[in-house]
Amino acid sequence: MPDVKMVNVTIDGHVVTVPDGTLVVEAAKLVGIEIPVFCYHHKLDPVGACRMCLVEISPGPPVAQAGCIRPVADGMVVKTQSAMAVQARADILEFELVNHPLDCPVCDKGGECPLQDFTFRHGYPTSRIDGPRLHFQKPIPLSPNIALDRERCVLCYRCTRYYDEVAWEQELTVAERGVHSVIASQFDQPLTSNFSGNIIDLCPVGALTSRLWRFESRPWDLHHTPSVCSKCAVGCNVTLWQRRGQLVRVTSRENDDIDEGWICDRGRFDYTDVNDPARLRVPAVHGSKTTWAVALNTVADGIKGKGSKLGISLPQDLTNEEAFLFRRLLDGPLRGAKVKMHGRTALPAPSGEQLMIKDIDDARVIIIVASDTENDVPIVNLRVKKAVSKRGAKLIVIHPDAVDLDRHRETVHIRNQPGEAAAEVRKLADHELLHEPGGPVAILYGDGRGSEDAAGLVAACTELAAKVGAKLMPLYRGTNERGSLELGVAGWDSLDGVEALLSWGPPPTAGVPASVKFHAVWDHLPRPEHQNASVVLPATSFAERQGSYTNLEGRVQFLRPAVDAEAPLKESWDVLCELAAALGLPLDYVGIFPIQREAAKAFPALAALAQPPSPEPEPVPVLMGPARP
Amino acid sequence: MSALSSHLLEEIKALPAKYPQPRSAVMPALDLAQEELGHLTPEAMSEVAVALQLDPGYVEGVATFYTLFHLEPVGKHRFYVCTNLSCMLRGAEDVVDRLKAAIGVREPGEVSKDGLFSYEEVECLGACEYAPVVRLDHRYEVDLTRGKIDSLVNDRRLVRSHVKTGVRSSLDTTPEPPRKKPVRRTKKSG
Repeated sequence: MPDVKMVNVTIDGHVVTVPDGTLVVEAAKLVGIEIPVFCYHHKLDPVGACRMCLVEISPGPPVAQAGCIRPVADGMVVKTQSAMAVQARADILEFELVNHPLDCPVCDKGGECPLQDFTFRHGYPTSRIDGPRLHFQKPIPLSPNIALDRERCVLCYRCTRYYDEVAWEQELTVAERGVHSVIASQFDQPLTSNFSGNIIDLCPVGALTSRLWRFESRPWDLHHTPSVCSKCAVGCNVTLWQRRGQLVRVTSRENDDIDEGWICDRGRFDYTDVNDPARLRVPAVHGSKTTWAVALNTVADGIKGKGSKLGISLPQDLTNEEAFLFRRLLDGPLRGAKVKMHGRTALPAPSGEQLMIKDIDDARVIIIVASDTENDVPIVNLRVKKAVSKRGAKLIVIHPDAVDLDRHRETVHIRNQPGEAAAEVRKLADHELLHEPGGPVAILYGDGRGSEDAAGLVAACTELAAKVGAKLMPLYRGTNERGSLELGVAGWDSLDGVEALLSWGPPPTAGVPASVKFHAVWDHLPRPEHQNASVVLPATSFAERQGSYTNLEGRVQFLRPAVDAEAPLKESWDVLCELAAALGLPLDYVGIFPIQREAAKAFPALAALAQPPSPEPEPVPVLMGPARP
Repeated sequence: MSALSSHLLEEIKALPAKYPQPRSAVMPALDLAQEELGHLTPEAMSEVAVALQLDPGYVEGVATFYTLFHLEPVGKHRFYVCTNLSCMLRGAEDVVDRLKAAIGVREPGEVSKDGLFSYEEVECLGACEYAPVVRLDHRYEVDLTRGKIDSLVNDRRLVRSHVKTGVRSSLDTTPEPPRKKPVRRTKKSG
């Protein structure tokens, strides 16, 4: 790591020492001064398109300059409040509003809109614009989930730059030019990227809005809860937004160690099942509603003492706490049961030091084996793209089919025969890119969705890692697959031939075996497979759950319930404790914290459970804005 | 069935070698495609993108940026009428009105019924000394008068009828307008 030169800059009288190359807007943030921006985004390359960030910089020409593309220099003096700068920004805002429809009262962005906020803080108090405004058809559906309002757009190009730089796609482009420029999807076709939803968060105005949350409520009417996404093993941090007991939207919550503020469309839009009016809420035995006690006793009678004749299907998103309790059941009354976890890979629990997601940034060569990262671990896929396109890492992909990482011209794609990935990995040791990688090497491996022999592949990758000095990252798919593996409950057994079946979460992927005589279901939605179930227990959804997940790199993160699990719905740990009692194993925990403390003691990998962080989100620093011009 | 002919695609594939940045070839490639088809269809843009190993969205962005790339069908002959200062002072508005009447359209970009003509208003063509000026396809027509506009239009109509009857083969060999021939006036011309 070369030493970075530090420079001193004066911003509105505050002296701040920052690394050379820091942009003026970033330096100003450090001393709590807001320089307003539209086109600038700290995760995108600066472009200087909107001129909202004009400040006076000396030494320099006597004009207002864009602070978002200007790196600091030693001795630079920045004035954000000089008459010139204040007026320049107000003028820019006046231009931004020339064609803006000012429909804030019906705009979903209203209340959390930078354009609205900046107009209040930096703009002229009255408008001089009385000419005709540009009109477009609106809203234009960009995809089933995203609507585009071209009249509100200020052409900051954040969305198209994100598509180009981060997602490596060109589905969204700028059409036409000058004042007639518009954001357009390629040939007006719907967006298909798995990463499209991020443009809603990026948009600094109400031009890109969610169609799922359109005209539903105002942002200030929502309660938000910091939580963790439950759709895959990456563990992106999200904010869940609740209103009147409904989960109304999911947005990203930046965590530079994992997601860098991006989430995939599955995490963002796949939440409507939480509000489904058909949700199961009352336990039922043979189709008639009953109490929890009766239902759980029926389940206990049905599954007790069955040994290997009992099959259990686990959801992919069970929490560590649930897995811990379930482990107690497996060690006790349910010993010998066959367990099959949903959506998991065939990969074994990791051993030794693993690669962290953050470390992908610094890798010089990245090898991805037998994983369609775009769909299996979407946000890791974005991290790989960043390392390749912004940091110049070389990429080698071993996969039988075309993958979206092929979009980079220099990607080396080795197409193996399905099942032959391990052989290709062994050949890689002599690859020219690995002779002198010039830095860390990262090997990310999946299981080819079952097409590869996992044990052989892990051995081959470990061997290669030892030869070239690389670090390994197993790409699990199941949300808490890694936690469940560490707790020893992530079964991989076939459920064929079992007589009793407890299907927790969605029904087994292979279907309910014909041999099942007693079928208990614990799910949050009614499904056709439940028709012949003896007992149906209502389950909580991810929005009502508390507990923790271990993500694919082994990081333990805490879920927080955004929506209350209202009676008769019971939290899963509570149900498991009562089921255990019905099975003759007294587990009397009074809440989730004692479970977490005990799990932390019993499993070193869960040590983080002993001290859950405060559920209160860190306050957002308030940046000083200037007075009106 | 591809939108562009195979020999054209070969020509397009050879273009990137001429430029330091391979994607610089997108403009000449689109030009070739437009030459062949008259206007750029999404299929044609996609094929150009595939031939140049670019994303179709990027090609579309370039095509929509430049007004000389046509995304809608245009006439076989395109009039680019200069309405900038010098031409305007020398009667560009009259030229536009006369042209609209002669080819029978109401607005820029509209294609005449026979599919032969369309017109656009453009900025300075750089021939102010000959104002008013119009670019007709790849040729400048200068010092325009009403009669000259009519004859430019009618010649091309006649050429088409000649081509149909096989009398003449191409426009380029046309001598000065044969003014004596009966001129079919459009109904709207006044």
